[in-house]
Amino acid sequence: MAEAAPTAASTTETTPTSGTTTGDAAQRIEPPKLHPLLRFILIRIGISVLLIWGVTIVTFLLTNLVPTDPVAAILGDRAAADPEIVAQTRERLGLDQPLIVQYFTYLSNLLHGDLGVSNQTRTPVLDSIGQVFPASIELGIGAILISVILGLLLGLLSALKQNTIVDHAIRTLSLIGISAPTFWIATVAYFVFFFKLRVIPGAGRLDPWITPPPKVTGLYTLDSLLAGQMATFTNALGHLILPSCVLALFTIGLLTRFSRSSVLDIIKFDYVTAAKAKGLPTSTVVFKYIFRGALVPIITVVGLAFGSLLSGAVLTETVFAWNGLGQYAYRGATTLDLPVIMGVGLVIGIVYIIVNFIVDLIYGFVDPRVRVR
Amino acid sequence: MRRLTRSFVAICSTLALTAGLAACSGGSDEAGGSGDTIVAETAFSLATIDPHRQFEFTGSTIDNALYQTALEFKDGDLTKPTDGLCSFEMSDDDKTMTLKLKQKDAKFSNGDPVTVDDIVFSFERLQGLKGNPSFFLDGVKVKKVDDETIELKSEKPNPALPYILPNSSIGIVNSKVVKENKGTTDEKDDAEQFLNENSQGSGPYKVDTYDPDSQVVLTANEHYNGPAPKYKRVVLRNVSAETQLTDIQSGQAQVAYDLNSDQANSIDDSMAQKTSLPSTRSLYIFNNMDSKVSDITTNEDFRKAVASAIDYDKILELSGEGAQRMAGLVPNEFNGAVPKDQAPERDLAKTKKLLKKSGYDGEKIPFHYSSDQSVNGVDLAQLAETLQAQLKEAGINLALKPAPSATQLDGFRSGKQPMGIGTWGADFPDPSNYNVFVPGGSVAERVNWDKGADPAITKLAEKAEKADEDSRGDAYATMYKSLSDTGVWIPLVQPVDTIVVGNSVKKFVSNADTSFDFAKAE
Repeated sequence: MAEAAPTAASTTETTPTSGTTTGDAAQRIEPPKLHPLLRFILIRIGISVLLIWGVTIVTFLLTNLVPTDPVAAILGDRAAADPEIVAQTRERLGLDQPLIVQYFTYLSNLLHGDLGVSNQTRTPVLDSIGQVFPASIELGIGAILISVILGLLLGLLSALKQNTIVDHAIRTLSLIGISAPTFWIATVAYFVFFFKLRVIPGAGRLDPWITPPPKVTGLYTLDSLLAGQMATFTNALGHLILPSCVLALFTIGLLTRFSRSSVLDIIKFDYVTAAKAKGLPTSTVVFKYIFRGALVPIITVVGLAFGSLLSGAVLTETVFAWNGLGQYAYRGATTLDLPVIMGVGLVIGIVYIIVNFIVDLIYGFVDPRVRVR
Repeated sequence: MRRLTRSFVAICSTLALTAGLAACSGGSDEAGGSGDTIVAETAFSLATIDPHRQFEFTGSTIDNALYQTALEFKDGDLTKPTDGLCSFEMSDDDKTMTLKLKQKDAKFSNGDPVTVDDIVFSFERLQGLKGNPSFFLDGVKVKKVDDETIELKSEKPNPALPYILPNSSIGIVNSKVVKENKGTTDEKDDAEQFLNENSQGSGPYKVDTYDPDSQVVLTANEHYNGPAPKYKRVVLRNVSAETQLTDIQSGQAQVAYDLNSDQANSIDDSMAQKTSLPSTRSLYIFNNMDSKVSDITTNEDFRKAVASAIDYDKILELSGEGAQRMAGLVPNEFNGAVPKDQAPERDLAKTKKLLKKSGYDGEKIPFHYSSDQSVNGVDLAQLAETLQAQLKEAGINLALKPAPSATQLDGFRSGKQPMGIGTWGADFPDPSNYNVFVPGGSVAERVNWDKGADPAITKLAEKAEKADEDSRGDAYATMYKSLSDTGVWIPLVQPVDTIVVGNSVKKFVSNADTSFDFAKAE
């Protein structure tokens, strides 16, 4: 492993302080050397913090640039006609303050873990996000598991069977997955699998007459297992299957195409040819040589896909009445609920940053060259 | 390579098997849940279930089941307010209403009896919160006379008061408990969250769990003084109309609120029953009266040309079976409605003459509407496109200006939109609720139609306000007919409110007052 370039500080002599004569005995102060991987992690953390601050500015500015008065969305026709009520509402929401004051108030509250209160429901945004986020996590995990397993395998199979009927079939399927409109797929799938075939339960995270398990993680499948409620677990899992599959379709298509092209690039390398020539078993060549080499660009796509699955499932959540972050964001946007919009924007931004951070770390582990760039 | 293919097939099979097992075990054989649970689905319009703050459809639906009111509309007859918790008497000058506590056996969900103090507190809290529904008791002084009597004194004659008091926003709360939980009768009140999670009413149900984004569960109030509801548990879920259609047919839900008439008609009678009620909402075109906003919409001939260019029968068709023509802004079932047979008809020859007279030369007129809004199944975007096509046939060019509801509403309120589609939902079933459209009224000001701009209408409005109980209906109808004749507001259609009920519900009550009465369903 190459050593990190010495920092400017480590090559500079310390200046003797006035009044002290150290002469030739002046000593170099060697700063403690950071392990390259640790330095890499610290730099990434610093960048992530700056990015999150940037996200707060962008979400705040974009939200406040909307050419609509949020008070109009809150007040009914009669109340909106009463200047006293309008003024009181504006004051209560802090909208009577200059924009810069509003931002610093927002930032200060943010540092105290306060994302504000919904203009519509008057419930703390953080509490609401805490309620809906586990639902999106559960759906996202379900979808990403299905996507990764199927997407990578299909991509690998497609590349290894290049230009055969299997390859063409997989490429066609992946194209359908990428281009089919989610809302339509979700509606049709719900109609067919729930209404016609009766193989899955209906909309929502649980049947309406089932009480949710005691909250630990907010993931019904996990919480019901922890509580030992197997009937609730199977019901929750049943509800999770179809929306996860629908949500996974796009990502399966994306990962299939991406992993196929990535594997095709790696197959041409000499070390793969050498491995085959050595007579190594096919599974060793495929998984240890080809697949590992192809993994680095695939990790990026998986990371970004997971971020978008957590934040962009509005349509799927709407069709399946899945009370997650997507539905919460949609409701906030349509009712011009500024604290909700800013809160969701910030959370989504943080999710992407964290996912990117984890992806960077995985790069560091998977590909040692990354650490010394 | 074969091994890889086998591995792939094995993994896929495992996934499919897991999915199948989970799905089958998670699938429900007991559609509709257990016998004492009723599942209702609607696309939530819900901010709160604190009765004195709520002003949305879903909040009102829930509060109807949680709270009793001083007066009621018996069997949904919106023309006859009747006794609720109290009996009532109006003074001859319509300025004083005397309420007498009638249901002395009424109890809140914690077993406390309902008292006059609770009623007074509820009225005063509604007024003091300065929220969306506070206007209901504007200018009304509330006074406890004794342990059985309350007096409501209005500054001006207030014949609409009996029609206002049945509103679920004026639900009676347990004053003692609400006060213990930061409830007050002014803006300092902080009991909203408490009331969202712990309803304090004497209605047939109490709140069990409350999630304004997903689901609200109600359970029977064992202290309710009426017949015990057959369904002990009500689950109201936030579900899109498309999913409601599937759920009502499968038995997953027993009540669907948001299906449009096409969706409702697509359901086989063996699966569900359809109940259609006249909507209490009006759809209209507005024309701005400020020449700085538009030179042409201020022209009466042009406005009348627009009114005679519309093919109302097509609009009716678009709105679904059960929708009605409107000759005025007041819904046909209300006292003071203009008879339907006086509604304008399409007459393109008349339009041509009027356009020529108005000097309109084909310029494009910005036409504003909410692109994301559907009113009782009438999609406003579709309605705007239909109107654009119809008016184009008559030589009138509209430039469609769609916007999200909040943006559109803000623009309308700012008074800068020349023309567009407006909607008005009745706050209470009385013609005086539509005075806001009279010059100088709060909605009229949005089209810059100021007080005194039309003395004849102002005079008719004053006459209607002063009319006695027997003649006020006709007086209002005359005034609203004149209002329509100006063309500032062009009434389009009164939509229909369709509720679909699953066949597992054998008996139910659905009317214009409560939409669907959970407590009376069997």
